[in-house]
Amino acid sequence: MPHHRQRLTSRYAVMAAIVLTLLGVLALRLWSVQVISGEAYADQANRNRVRQVSTPAPRGRILDRKGRELVTNRTALAVVAAGRVAEDEELLGRLSALLDVSVIELKEKLRSRKEAALAPRVIAVDVPLATVAYLAEHASDFPDVDVEARAVREYPLGSLAAHVLGYTGEISQADAVQPEFEGYEPTDIVGKAGAERALEKVLQGDHGMRVLEVDASGRQRRVVQEVDPVPGRDVRLTIDARVQKVAEEALLDAIADAKRDKYYKAKAGAAVALDTRTGEVLAMASLPTYEPSAFLGGISQREWRSLTSTESQYPLTNRAIMAQYPPASTFKAFTGLAGLESDKTSQWASYDCQGTWIGMGEQWKKRCWNRTGHGSESFMDGIVNSCDVVFYEIGLAFYKDGRERLQEFAREFGYGQLTGIDLPGEDDGRVPDAAWKKRYNEDYPEYQRWNPGDTVNIVIGQGDLLATPLQVATTYGGIANGGRVMKPHVLERVLGHDGETVLKPEPEVAFEPDVSKANLAIMRTALENVVTQGTAQDAFRGFGVPVAGKTGTAEVAGKDDYAWFVGYAPASKPRYVVAVVLEQGGHGGAVAAPAARQILAALLGEKVVHVTAEDSSR
Amino acid sequence: MNERSTLRTAVNPALVAIVVLLLVYGSVVVRSAVSGMDASDALMRRQLLGIAIGLAGLGAAWAVDYRRLFGWVGPLVIADALLIVSPRIPGLGDTAKGATLWLELAGVRLFQPSEPAKLLFILALAAFIARYKGRIDAPRDVGKVLLVAAIPMTLVVAVGDLGTGLVFVAIAAGMLLLGGLSGRWFAVLGLCAVLLVAGLLGGNEMLNRALERGPYDPAYQAATDKSAVEDTSVLLKRYQINRLLVFVDPGRDPAGAGYNLEQSKIAIGSGELTGKGLRYGTQGNLNFLPERHTDFIFSVLGEELGFVGVLALLGLYLMLLLTSLEISASARDLFGSLIVGGIISMWVFQIFENIGMTVGLMPITGIPLPFMSYGASSMVTNLVAAGMLLSVWARRYA
Repeated sequence: MPHHRQRLTSRYAVMAAIVLTLLGVLALRLWSVQVISGEAYADQANRNRVRQVSTPAPRGRILDRKGRELVTNRTALAVVAAGRVAEDEELLGRLSALLDVSVIELKEKLRSRKEAALAPRVIAVDVPLATVAYLAEHASDFPDVDVEARAVREYPLGSLAAHVLGYTGEISQADAVQPEFEGYEPTDIVGKAGAERALEKVLQGDHGMRVLEVDASGRQRRVVQEVDPVPGRDVRLTIDARVQKVAEEALLDAIADAKRDKYYKAKAGAAVALDTRTGEVLAMASLPTYEPSAFLGGISQREWRSLTSTESQYPLTNRAIMAQYPPASTFKAFTGLAGLESDKTSQWASYDCQGTWIGMGEQWKKRCWNRTGHGSESFMDGIVNSCDVVFYEIGLAFYKDGRERLQEFAREFGYGQLTGIDLPGEDDGRVPDAAWKKRYNEDYPEYQRWNPGDTVNIVIGQGDLLATPLQVATTYGGIANGGRVMKPHVLERVLGHDGETVLKPEPEVAFEPDVSKANLAIMRTALENVVTQGTAQDAFRGFGVPVAGKTGTAEVAGKDDYAWFVGYAPASKPRYVVAVVLEQGGHGGAVAAPAARQILAALLGEKVVHVTAEDSSR
Repeated sequence: MNERSTLRTAVNPALVAIVVLLLVYGSVVVRSAVSGMDASDALMRRQLLGIAIGLAGLGAAWAVDYRRLFGWVGPLVIADALLIVSPRIPGLGDTAKGATLWLELAGVRLFQPSEPAKLLFILALAAFIARYKGRIDAPRDVGKVLLVAAIPMTLVVAVGDLGTGLVFVAIAAGMLLLGGLSGRWFAVLGLCAVLLVAGLLGGNEMLNRALERGPYDPAYQAATDKSAVEDTSVLLKRYQINRLLVFVDPGRDPAGAGYNLEQSKIAIGSGELTGKGLRYGTQGNLNFLPERHTDFIFSVLGEELGFVGVLALLGLYLMLLLTSLEISASARDLFGSLIVGGIISMWVFQIFENIGMTVGLMPITGIPLPFMSYGASSMVTNLVAAGMLLSVWARRYA
């Protein structure tokens, strides 16, 4: 053995010790990491790779009362992009050119919320196939941009009943924190208006869940587990699509009629048709209207501006429930009933109309709309001719009484109060009284006193009295229904997943005014005469079913007159009540009544014709 | 001597068996690590080609009588120095991950010269130390040895490969131990090393502050995105400082420099006792592990084969090192013992550093795991090293 080896023995011992120590340290450390802490690290590894994503549930369909589809779902090709695309100006430029959407808008859509990498944002829906093909071929130029099939709302009948149906959109940040929307996710599509909003809880299903395996850059590798979403429930509305269509066309016809009568500013209006016995809304139209499909995938700024600008006449507003107008002469039925109930007049009480009225003194002279006067007439004639003087007298009697019986009576029928319809955004109108006037003119002491003129304005449906078209329809429905005002509603029933009925709202009485049958009968006869001999006779000439109703022509400061008609049929055994208003449309009998005739014809199975009528009354 | 006994003399069956087992084990794990990658087949072919070239190199090294190199200290040092700086010679270098560590000719990447440079370093130092016949104590002698060792070490750090520089330090330490440097000197040199490191870090910080080059906190860099601009640090590169900072406090930057360590620990830990099975490692296949087939191959092994697989590897390494110690001890001369001792030191350090970094025992460096990591340069170098061991073994009686 060479001599150097002995000397080296101790050094080899040191080296061997180092080797053993270092490998031992490694083994111990690995024992600690893998065996002692192994489970914790296994959890971390799973958290690394597993993402839970919820899958949206298909929204329930909305059907009309006969089961016709009003809103359904379809699959649309949507371009989606990850939130980080917002930072890539070059890519945004390419996308903008390809999709014809401005860079600012793209950014807004991408940036709207703090999104997880796995919830890509929709930046365009219904993209042409050529665009899809281009994106597929140039995938490398569009990183983090994909085309996905998304379920979107479809409107088989276009804009029909747009205001009743409403529209959907991504839940707003403000809504997301409301208790009502607990459990919703930031990208959920919710109802924003109309039935979509009112029936949100029913239409919205339960999210499904998908457990994904993702890689380090957050890309999906495979689906580990999947729980199917529970679709929302279908609903049937009380709306009859056929009647609804007639109502919308009738409003357009009314605008044409108004223009014929040289009322060129006529652009907006509303029509409501109710079942007098149940409160079911058979048709509810509002002009101008909009295309609910514009909201698919998020409405563009340009479109939103065009729908909300002053010049647009606010097409998103459902005028039938959200607009308040002076009810004008249509209110005379209630002034009349109140007068009969509180003995301020009687069926055959006689009046003399000379065209002017000085009941409040010479200096407060008022005129009848008929400047030459109606001459000697009864209370009944006053309604049929819509004579203002008759009602001025009744109004003055109410003023002198001093107890505000007229306002109380109007409120009992539902004026100045919400009808409680199952649609969002309803307005309650206004029944002015002394207390209201004092409050309203808080800063103007000289205007706080309730004057005879205030009451005399209310009796003819003017002054500070305001009502929604729906209120006018429900209150006349009350007259038709023997004094019971039914609560209007649009939900007919909720359907289960096998099409079975799971919920059907019962008719509810909204208001039950204290009014005698005898007085109701007087008023119903008078309203029948309006149609046969009075201001609406022209519009309903030749109509197969007896109709009772009232025209109205509202004066609005700075505007042309608003045309009103409200009526129910059959007059003897009423089933339907229809109210029509046309802003700046002129005279009720000439413009609104023919439209109401068309709607009533559709409801009663009569031939729907657009008649030309004349009326110069108010 | 008959032919059979010649063969018995020339072959160390234990070493051959261990190397073969390591090659098989490494190939299996690399195969699994690259399985999810785009060019997995091409990568695997390259790895097998590396093994083939390495085995040829092993045979050549085995055949060559190491004693012929005894007098070549000067040429070996010069060749080593040239090899180390070759990537910096214009037209020969290729830059990857911020460092110019590849030798490139006519646009073709050849190999990482720092790998074979380790072996030339071992040969040169062994030849030089062997002259002192196992006793280095005179300050003059210590100075000479340190000078010879310092030339390649300084160059390797100068070209920016701090990790390999540390391997050189480990090799030199092991060979000085075996070559007879006294304990006294080890103590002095150890103290110097500590002072040097502290001085380097402190001086780096002071210089950079004086030159207003900004602090080296990764958070600061992320906030100001300074990493994108040129690394103006004076003595140490920013990423080197970052790795040290993260080693000291892994929580300070989990998404940046600490990310690799965190993901590696998750991978290994989640392997638990028996592992997730080959190719079923989620950390590796889903790209959470960086450099998973090269520097972090051990993390793949730990994740997919568990503590059992880890112990098997550590057992193989233990046998490799103990067998190598036996070969060193049975060498015919000190030169042979020192060569083997240098190789053992190289392996021990690389094994400890590479596995240690994957579990947070050591700072992260780019040092491959012997016989396991993907990469032909390292594979060929380790197989040639095994060939040198066999060359020493075969000539133990001659």
